[in-house]
Amino acid sequence: MSELAQPSAGIVVALVLSAVLFTTGLVGFLVRRNMILMFLCTELMLQAAALAFIAFGKMRGDTGGQVFVIFILTVAAAEAALALGLVVLLYRRRETLSAEAWQELHE
Amino acid sequence: MTLPSLMLASVLAAASGDAAGHGSLADAPIVAATAAPELAWVGWVLALPALSAVACVLLAMLRVRNKLPAAATVLALGGAFALILKLYLSRGPNAAPVIVHLWDWMNFGWGGGDWKSFQADVSLYIDSLTLLWMLFVTGLGTLIALFASEYMESERGPGYARFFFGVSIFLLAMACLVMADNLVLLYLGWEGVGLASYLLIGFYYRKPSAVAAAKKAFIMNRVGDLGLAVGIWLIWVNYGTVEYGELFQKLAVGGSDQGGWDRSLIPFCLMLGAFGKSAQLPLFTWLPDAMEGPTPVSALIHAATMVTAGVYLIARMQPLFMLHPDAMTTVAWVGGITALVSATIGMAQYDIKRVFAYSTVSQLGYMFMGLGVGTAFGAAYHVFTHAFFKALLFLTAGAVMHGFAGQLDLRRLSGVRKVPGFGIVSWTMLVGCLWLAAFPYSAGFFSKDLILVQAMSKPQFQILGWLSLATAALTAYYTFRVWFRVCAGPVSYVPGEEAHGDHGHDDHGSQHHDDHGHAFHPHPPRLAMNGVLLLICLGAILAGIPGIQALRGQHNWVQEMVYASTAVRAAGVDHVTTPVAFGMDPHKVVSVFGIAASLGGIAIALWLHLLDRRMADRIRTALLSNGLTRWLPVAMENKWYFDEIYHALFRLPLWVASHLLHFFDRHFIDGVLVNGVGRVPTVLGRLFQPLYNGALQGYATTMAGGVILVLAWVAWRWLGAGGAA
Amino acid sequence: MSHPLVMLLIPVVGAAATAVGPARWARWTAFLFTLAAFGVSVVHAAQFPEWHSGRFWPAVDEGAPLAAFGVHMQLGCDSVSLLLLLLTTFMMPLTIAGSFSAVSEREREYYAWFQLLEAGILLAFLSRDFIVFYLGYEFTLVPMYFLISIWGGQQRRTAAIKFFIFTFLGSIFTLAAALYVAARQAEATGTWNFALASMVDFASTQLTGREQFWVFLGLMAGFAIKTPIFPVHSWLPLAHDQAPTGGSVILAAVLLKLGTYGVYRIALPMAPAGGVETATFFGVLGILAIIATAMICWVQTDAKKLIAYSSVSHMGFVIMGLFAFNPVGLQGSVMYMISHGLSTGALFLCIGMIYERFHTKEMDQMSGLARHMPVWACFMVLFTLASLGLPGLNGFVGEFLCLMGTFVAEHDQPAGYPGVMGPWFAVVAAAGLILGAMYLLILLGKIVWGPLKVPGASADPHEHAHGDQGHGHLPRDLNFREIAILVPIALACLGTGLYPRLLLDVTEPSVRETLADYPARVNEFNAERGLKNPTLGGPVAAAEARP
Repeated sequence: MSELAQPSAGIVVALVLSAVLFTTGLVGFLVRRNMILMFLCTELMLQAAALAFIAFGKMRGDTGGQVFVIFILTVAAAEAALALGLVVLLYRRRETLSAEAWQELHE
Repeated sequence: MTLPSLMLASVLAAASGDAAGHGSLADAPIVAATAAPELAWVGWVLALPALSAVACVLLAMLRVRNKLPAAATVLALGGAFALILKLYLSRGPNAAPVIVHLWDWMNFGWGGGDWKSFQADVSLYIDSLTLLWMLFVTGLGTLIALFASEYMESERGPGYARFFFGVSIFLLAMACLVMADNLVLLYLGWEGVGLASYLLIGFYYRKPSAVAAAKKAFIMNRVGDLGLAVGIWLIWVNYGTVEYGELFQKLAVGGSDQGGWDRSLIPFCLMLGAFGKSAQLPLFTWLPDAMEGPTPVSALIHAATMVTAGVYLIARMQPLFMLHPDAMTTVAWVGGITALVSATIGMAQYDIKRVFAYSTVSQLGYMFMGLGVGTAFGAAYHVFTHAFFKALLFLTAGAVMHGFAGQLDLRRLSGVRKVPGFGIVSWTMLVGCLWLAAFPYSAGFFSKDLILVQAMSKPQFQILGWLSLATAALTAYYTFRVWFRVCAGPVSYVPGEEAHGDHGHDDHGSQHHDDHGHAFHPHPPRLAMNGVLLLICLGAILAGIPGIQALRGQHNWVQEMVYASTAVRAAGVDHVTTPVAFGMDPHKVVSVFGIAASLGGIAIALWLHLLDRRMADRIRTALLSNGLTRWLPVAMENKWYFDEIYHALFRLPLWVASHLLHFFDRHFIDGVLVNGVGRVPTVLGRLFQPLYNGALQGYATTMAGGVILVLAWVAWRWLGAGGAA
Repeated sequence: MSHPLVMLLIPVVGAAATAVGPARWARWTAFLFTLAAFGVSVVHAAQFPEWHSGRFWPAVDEGAPLAAFGVHMQLGCDSVSLLLLLLTTFMMPLTIAGSFSAVSEREREYYAWFQLLEAGILLAFLSRDFIVFYLGYEFTLVPMYFLISIWGGQQRRTAAIKFFIFTFLGSIFTLAAALYVAARQAEATGTWNFALASMVDFASTQLTGREQFWVFLGLMAGFAIKTPIFPVHSWLPLAHDQAPTGGSVILAAVLLKLGTYGVYRIALPMAPAGGVETATFFGVLGILAIIATAMICWVQTDAKKLIAYSSVSHMGFVIMGLFAFNPVGLQGSVMYMISHGLSTGALFLCIGMIYERFHTKEMDQMSGLARHMPVWACFMVLFTLASLGLPGLNGFVGEFLCLMGTFVAEHDQPAGYPGVMGPWFAVVAAAGLILGAMYLLILLGKIVWGPLKVPGASADPHEHAHGDQGHGHLPRDLNFREIAILVPIALACLGTGLYPRLLLDVTEPSVRETLADYPARVNEFNAERGLKNPTLGGPVAAAEARP
C-alpha cells in the first residue's frame, strides 16, 4: 500500500459514485420484475464497475483501467443487442415482460 | 454250569493271559517306521480304483448300456485286494511299519527344524492295522461290487456307470483314509468317503427323501470333520508334525504344550470326527436315513467299511488316546450308551434296512466301548466280524427287496424261506442273524465277548458291562424279530411299490406297475447275488477262526496284527480275579450272562414273532393304553425324537437367524447404511433446494447474499486481524 | 519389448481391433487376442527366473518416470503376482468363449470392454509403482461399469452405479493413505517416489505406530470394499446378480483378488504396525463374513445371488489367512485366491449356461436337472464340491491352510511367526465349513437333484431383449464349446488339489518377504499385553522351558 499514491478527493468522489451506481443497479435488479428494467440495472452495475476501473487506473497512473473500460463498453454493446433480442423473444412467448413468468429452471 | 461255557471261560482266561503277555509291550517304544521305496507298487491300490472311476466316467460318456462299468470296477477292486493280500503274505501279520512315499502333496517349509515346515504328502503308512483294515475293505468291496453288478442291472446305462463310479471313488477314498501316513491325507480320505456316501445315498436322486438323506449325511459328517480338523491343527501346534511316523516317536517323549489350548483336548477333537463318521451319539441320526441308498451301498459303506473309519482313527491314534484316560472313558461311555439307545430304537422299527441300520449303530457302539475300555484287539476283531455278518445281512435284505419289488416292511413279508429261489437268501440271513445276535460260538460271540470281558474286568466300567449285556439281549431280540417275521412262518407277502426306487427308470416303472396289478412273481436272485451271499457267509463263518484258535490256545492273526501296530498301547489288561457278581470272575460272568442274553433274546423273538405273532401287537397295545408306559413305545418308534430335537435346537434357530440376517443385510447394511450414505448428497441438495426456486430474482438475491457474506467475513477477519495487531 | 509390456498391449490392441472390426468377427478377435495374452503369460512364466527367490522380474524400467512426480512405469512381477496374472489370462479367453451365445447385442463394444478390463487388471498385477497400480486398479471400474450397465439384468443401472461409486469411494481413501506416505517420504528424502519398494521401505521403518495405524486403515478402506469384507460387501451381490455371465465370472475370479492382492502386496508390508494392531478387528470381520454370509446364502432363492454371497463368505477365509501373519496362513490365502478364482468362476459359468437356456436363475423354478442335462450336472457337482473345500480339489488346500494359519496365530507359536488371533478364531471360522456344505448342497439339492422340473421360457420381455437369441441354437445339454470351456477349469481344479506343492513352493519366498517385519512387530504388540513368544526372546521364555 505504501507505494500507492493517496487517493485524491476526485477519485474518492468517483468511487463513491461508482458504489452508488452499483447499489442502485443491484437493488433495482432485485426488486423490479420487468425484464427490460432488470437488464438496464445490470448495465448500471457494469458501468459502475467501469467507473471504478477508471478511478483506480487514475489513482495508480495506469492506463490499463481505461483499456478495460473500452472492452467493457464493447462487450456491453454486444450484450445489449443479444439480451434485448432475447427479451423480445421471451415477450413473444408469454406476452409479458415479467421475470416471474419464467421459472421452469428450478429443480 | 454248562460244559461249553466252562471251556470258554478257561480259554478266554488263557487268551487274556496272552494279551497280558503282550501287555508288557505297552511300555515299549513304538517301532519306528522306515521308508520302503521298493514297495512303491502298493500305490496301485490307490491307482486301480481311481482308474476304474475314470473308466466309469468314460463308459458313461460313451453311453454304454452293458455291464462294463461293473466289470471294470470289480476287476480293479479285485486287483487291489490281490495286491493287499500279496503285501500281507510277503510281510506277515506283525512286520514293522513302513512308509511308501508316492508324491508330495501339501508340503512346504519356511526354514529348518521342528514347526518350520508342514508336511502332508500322499504317502502310505503300512503296518498291520492298515493291512487288517485293507484286507476286509478291499475284499468285501470286491464281493459287494460283484453283487451290485446284478442287483443294479435295471439301471444299466448312465446310472449304472454312476453307481460304480461312486463305488470306485469310495474305495479310493477309503484306501487313502486307511493307508495315509499323515492326518491330512486321512482327512482327504475321510471327506472322500463322505463324498462317495453323499453320491451313493443320493443315487436315486429323483426322490426328495434320498436327496435330503444324502445332504444330511454329508453335513452331519462335516460337523465331525470340523472336530477332526481342529484335532489336526492342535496336533501340529503341539508336536510340529502331522505324520504318523514322526508323531508316534514324539508322543513317547511328550510334546510341548503350546498355545492357549491344552493338548488334552486333542483326543476329544478327534473323537468328534470319529463319532460323526461312525454314527455315534450325538451324531448318529444320519446313518438310518442313509438307507435311502441302494442296498449294496448300505452293505459296503454304511455297515461294513466306512462307518468303521472312526474306530480305525481311534485305534490308529491309540498312543495319543492312552495319554488321556478321560478321553478313553468318554469313548467307552459314548459307545455303550449309543449301543443301548440305538438298540431300543431298532426294536421298534418296521423297515428291515432300518432295523439293520440301527443295529449297525449299536454294534459300532460296542466297538467304541471296546476301544474305550482298553481292548483294541476286541474292537478291531468286532469290526472284522461285524463287517462280514452285517454286509451279509444287508445283502440278504437287499435280495429280498430286489425280489419283492422294494418291499421292506417286515409286517408285509412272511415265510420268504419257502418262496422258490430264496433258500440261499434265507439261510445266509439266518447265519447273519445268529452272528449279530452273538449266538454261542459264532464269530460275533467271540468278538463281543472280548469287549465285555474287558469292560467287566475294570471296576469303573462294570456298570457299562452290565448295560452292554442288556443291549446284547435287545440285539438278539430285534435281529430275530426280523428273521422270524420275514423268513419263517407261513408264506404271505405284499409286493412293494417300486417307489423305493430300486428300479429308477421311467420306462420300466409303468410296466412293473402293471405286473403288480395282475399277479406278482417274486424274482429270486441269480448266480452273482447268490454266489456273493455264499462267499460272504463263508467269510463270516471263517471270521470265527481267530476265536477258535484262541479256544485252542493258539496264536491268532487278528490279535497279532493289532498288537503289532500302534494300537499296542491299549493292550494292558487289568487282571481282576475278584468276583464281580454271584461269586464269578469277569470271564465267567460274561460267558454265562452273554449266552443267556443271546438265547433269551432269540427265545422272546421266537415267541412273539413266530409262535404267537399277535402277542407282539397285544403287548404294544397294552403299553400304549397305559398312561404310565405309553411314552415308551411312542418314543422308541419315533427314534427318541432325536431328529425333532436337533431340528428344534439347531436347524430352526439357524433358519430363523439366517432370515433375520438376510433381512438385516438387505435392509440395514445395504438399505440404511450404504444407500443412506449414498443419499447424503441428495439430502444436502434438498436442504438448499428452496434457494433454487427458478425465479431470476431469487438466484440474484442468493448470489448477492453470498457476496455480502463473503465480504462480511473478509471484513471481519481484516478488522479482527487489525484489532489484534 | 519385454513380456509384461506385450501382455499389456495385446488386450489394448485387441480392444481396438475388436471395436473397429466387423461385428461378426468381434467374438473371435477377442478370443484370439486374449488367448495370445495367455500364451505370452505362459511364456513369461516359463522364462521367469525368480520363482524361488521372491524377487521381482524383470527389474528394469519400461519408461522414464513421469517427470517431477516420481511415478515409474515399472513393470514386473514376483511369483504371487505372476500366479494371479496367469489366473487372469487363463480365465479371460474362457470367459469370452462363454459369452459367445449369451451376448448378441453390441458385440463389438462388449468384447472391446472385456479386453480393456483385462488390460486394467494386468496393469495392476504387473505394476511395481503405486500410482501405476492404482491406475490399473481404478481403471477396471470403467469397463466393468459399462459391462454391467449395458448388458446386465433389470436393475443394471442401479447395480452399476452402486458398484462404481462404492468401490470408488473406498479407493479414494487408499489413494489418500498412499499419498500421505509418499508425502512423508518426500519430506524426509526430498524427492517424490511412488515405487512400491521404496514406499514400503520408508513407511514400514520411518512412520510411527500411530501413523501406520491410520495409513493401514486408509489403505484397507479401498481393499476391504474391493475384497469385499463383510459390512462393506453389499455392492457385490447386486453387481453379480445384474452383471452378464462373463462379467460375473471375471468379477468373482479376478477383480475381487485385486482387493486381497492389495492387502497382501501393499497394505500388509507398508504398515506392519497398523496390520498388527487391527488384526483382531479384521479377524472378527473375517469370521463375520464367513458365518453371516454363509447363513445368508442359505436362505437365497436365486442361484447366482447364492454364489455371489458365497464369494463374500469365501473371501473371509482369505482375510483370516492374511491376518494370521504366518507362512501357513498367507500361503493358504494365496492358494485360496487362486482356487476361488477357478471354482467360483466356473460356478458362475455353469449358472450362466442354465440362464441362457431357461432365462431364470430362481432355484424354485427348476429341479432335477441331472436328468435333463447330465454333463452340465457333472460339472456343476464338481465345481460345487471344489467350492465347499473337498480335499483333493483346489478349495481344500487354501481353506485348510488359512484356518490352520489362524489356529496357530498365537503369541507363543513355535514356528517363529507369532500372531494375535489364535485357536478360537479358527474354530469359530471353521463353522463355515459346515455352513458352506449346507448352502452349497442345498444349491445342488434344489437344482441338480430332485424330481425333474424344467422352467418354461421366461415371460419377461426385457430378458429376451438382453438375453440371447441364441437360445434356439443351444442343445438341451452342454455343447462342445461349453464343455471345452469347463474342462480346462476342471483340470486346473483337480491339478491344484492334487499337487499344490507346485504353488506352495513358489509362493513361500514371496510370503516371507511380505511377512519380513511381522514377527518382531507382533512380539512387541503382544509384549504390551503381557504375552511374548519364547523363541523370539522375552519373559515367557525362561518360565517355559520345554522338555
